[in-house]
Amino acid sequence: MGRSKAHYWFVGPAILLMLLLLIAPVVVAAALSMTDYSLGNSGFNWIGWENYEKLFTRRSYSKMFTASLTYVLLVVPISVALGLGSALLISSLRIGGELYKAIFFLPVMATLLAMAIVWEFALNPIVGVVNDILRSGCDKSVIYGFLSGSWLGYDPLESWYGSACEKKFPLWLGDRKYALGTIAFIGIWQAFGFNMVLYLAGLTSVPRELYQAAQMDGADSAWERFKLVTWPMLGPTHVFVITISSIRSFQVFDTVEALTEGGPSKSTYVMIYAMFEKGVRQNLLGMGSAITIVFLIFVLILTLVQVYFVNRKVHY
Amino acid sequence: MASIALSRVTKSYGGQSVINGVDLDIHDGEFLTLVGPSGCGKSTTLRIIAGLETQTAGDVSIDGSLVNETRPSLRDLAMVFQSYALYPHLTVRQNLITPLRLRDLNFWERFPLLGHLVPSRRAKMAQIEKEVQLVSETLKIEPLLARKPGQLSGGQRQRVALGRAMVRNPAAFLMDEPLSNLDASLRVHMRAELSALHKKLKTTFVYVTHDQAEALTMSDRIAVMMDGDLLQLGSPEEVYQNPQDIRVAEFIGSPKMNILPGYCDELGNITCAGFSLDGTLEIPSPGPVSVGFRPEHLTLTEPNADQSLAGKLTYKENLGSDVFFHITQEGIEGSIIIRAQPLISTPQQPGDIIHCTPVPGKPLVFGPDGQRLDFKALAQSGTSS
Ligand SMILES: Nc1ncnc2c1ncn2[C@@H]1O[C@H](COP(=O)(O)OP(=O)(O)OP(=O)(O)O)[C@@H](O)[C@H]1O
Ligand SMILES: [Mg+2]
Repeated sequence: MGRSKAHYWFVGPAILLMLLLLIAPVVVAAALSMTDYSLGNSGFNWIGWENYEKLFTRRSYSKMFTASLTYVLLVVPISVALGLGSALLISSLRIGGELYKAIFFLPVMATLLAMAIVWEFALNPIVGVVNDILRSGCDKSVIYGFLSGSWLGYDPLESWYGSACEKKFPLWLGDRKYALGTIAFIGIWQAFGFNMVLYLAGLTSVPRELYQAAQMDGADSAWERFKLVTWPMLGPTHVFVITISSIRSFQVFDTVEALTEGGPSKSTYVMIYAMFEKGVRQNLLGMGSAITIVFLIFVLILTLVQVYFVNRKVHY
Repeated sequence: MASIALSRVTKSYGGQSVINGVDLDIHDGEFLTLVGPSGCGKSTTLRIIAGLETQTAGDVSIDGSLVNETRPSLRDLAMVFQSYALYPHLTVRQNLITPLRLRDLNFWERFPLLGHLVPSRRAKMAQIEKEVQLVSETLKIEPLLARKPGQLSGGQRQRVALGRAMVRNPAAFLMDEPLSNLDASLRVHMRAELSALHKKLKTTFVYVTHDQAEALTMSDRIAVMMDGDLLQLGSPEEVYQNPQDIRVAEFIGSPKMNILPGYCDELGNITCAGFSLDGTLEIPSPGPVSVGFRPEHLTLTEPNADQSLAGKLTYKENLGSDVFFHITQEGIEGSIIIRAQPLISTPQQPGDIIHCTPVPGKPLVFGPDGQRLDFKALAQSGTSS
């Protein structure tokens, strides 16, 4: 049998494209992260691990990791829980489910940048609708009493709402204490509709006979059936939703860029924004590449965790 | 053990009626089969008995007490589903434990982790383990207890589903086509096992199938359903030999009963396919009738015998134990099937003209509305002619 070289021709183009489009950029980034290269410079110096050293010692970068991780830890659990909850509620509806689906999915379809501008207006501390509404409750005794906790006998001035009424309502995006939370809130608002749709798809694949079997076996309450059937049967969906949400939250950029630009005092300085600021704005490509590589490692870890769960736990 | 009674049960989905007033008395300890073609409402009837579906009107009672408002779990019935509906994330042992755990442990004893601290849990779990052990011995599934349903064969899953139904010692078993996912030989084997299990447990079995062979082989009584109506209820022999409706006659029996158009005169004499039947209708109903012959009630005869039915042989189906002749006759649509012993049936070839004659007394006559008419054979003189 003559040795044909045909197989190289079959796999060659695919491998070439993969190397060119996927592997090469990562290798280049990894190489750049070891240099002090700037776009436009004719040369560069190899500086070894210096960029990484900065990344893990400087305060502004530790703020970056804190901001990114806090954002992820806020957005992922809440948007996943809300997505699951709303999917369960919608799938139990007889009528109107389609309407709710469309409404909750709206933020997913809208451009986040455009929505960010709307949020910027809404959250404006002086003319924004959010603070307007909050302020209007201060002189209505029922609302004030309820929100400040005075109906339970607490001192209204001790509570968040009571003291805010006395002094002033937060600046939201302009306040170091609130900015990241506010950005995370917008992230949740945007992400949970997506998670809901994934869970709805997951729910339709749970066989109806399993619920009936559970009913025959004595799982009388909806909660028992949820524990016995729904939750375990959604296993693959959980893994997928959590991974996707985590990666998407790590990638948050447009709201930060549009609303806070990483501030105030770097409280919303998330990774992709830092990458953009260093690599593009300040033309420090070496540093930007180092952040990129660390980011890729995070995503890689998430993906490996997902693969582990998909293979091990959740497939029956 | 329990008796189950349905009275005037109807069910409609959004104005579309799928069960039109079914009356059914299921005796304590009997093996009753609901049989009928696909979509006739068998599963719906079974699910109404189970309480998984609420009837639009009518009553369901178990052991004489009305259960219309009773939750499925409190009806003390167990169901085996067509897809088995085993919990795929639990091992076989956990699948078997689940119904007992849900019935016997209270809320706190079932609580994740903390439940283990409740003192009464241990004794109850020991009891449950014992019952699971007993059932898995009966069904010979002990080696499988640690596996998950995904790692079992179809027949093994079927057994586990049966086991999950058995552990609770229910008052009655409801089974919705439990054998339809198995291959032919395993199905025959499980048929025998289910019958044996019924004899052993002496519990009421309500069994749904669209396979008339399963119905005939396993049941004490058969209920034939069609288009949401219960057409006939009786022992397998009765339903086979004495169908009260032409649809029952056609559905039960394989190959199908031959139905030929006939004509009844004022005296009740019937002519059909060129010969007259040796008998009369008790109450003559002049006009067109349908005459049914089962394949085994037609015998091959010599060409010149009188009162014979002639047709062209189109197809000879040799099953080894039986040979079926498919013949066609001008003016009759479809083919007529004759069953013969292989010993006496060798020479005929497709294309030959074949003659046959009905076994005296066996033809069934149905009126234009499909109802059975009372046909009396001339039994005394029938053989002499
Ligand atoms: N949830 C439902 N909504 C509307 N129609 C339904 C519903 N469930 C069943 N039907 C209809 O009721 C009729 C009876 O259904 P059922 O499942 O009882 O049939 P079956 O006799 O069990 O058939 P098969 O042998 O195919 O299982 C069918 O015509 C079906 O289309
Ligand atoms: Mg069915």
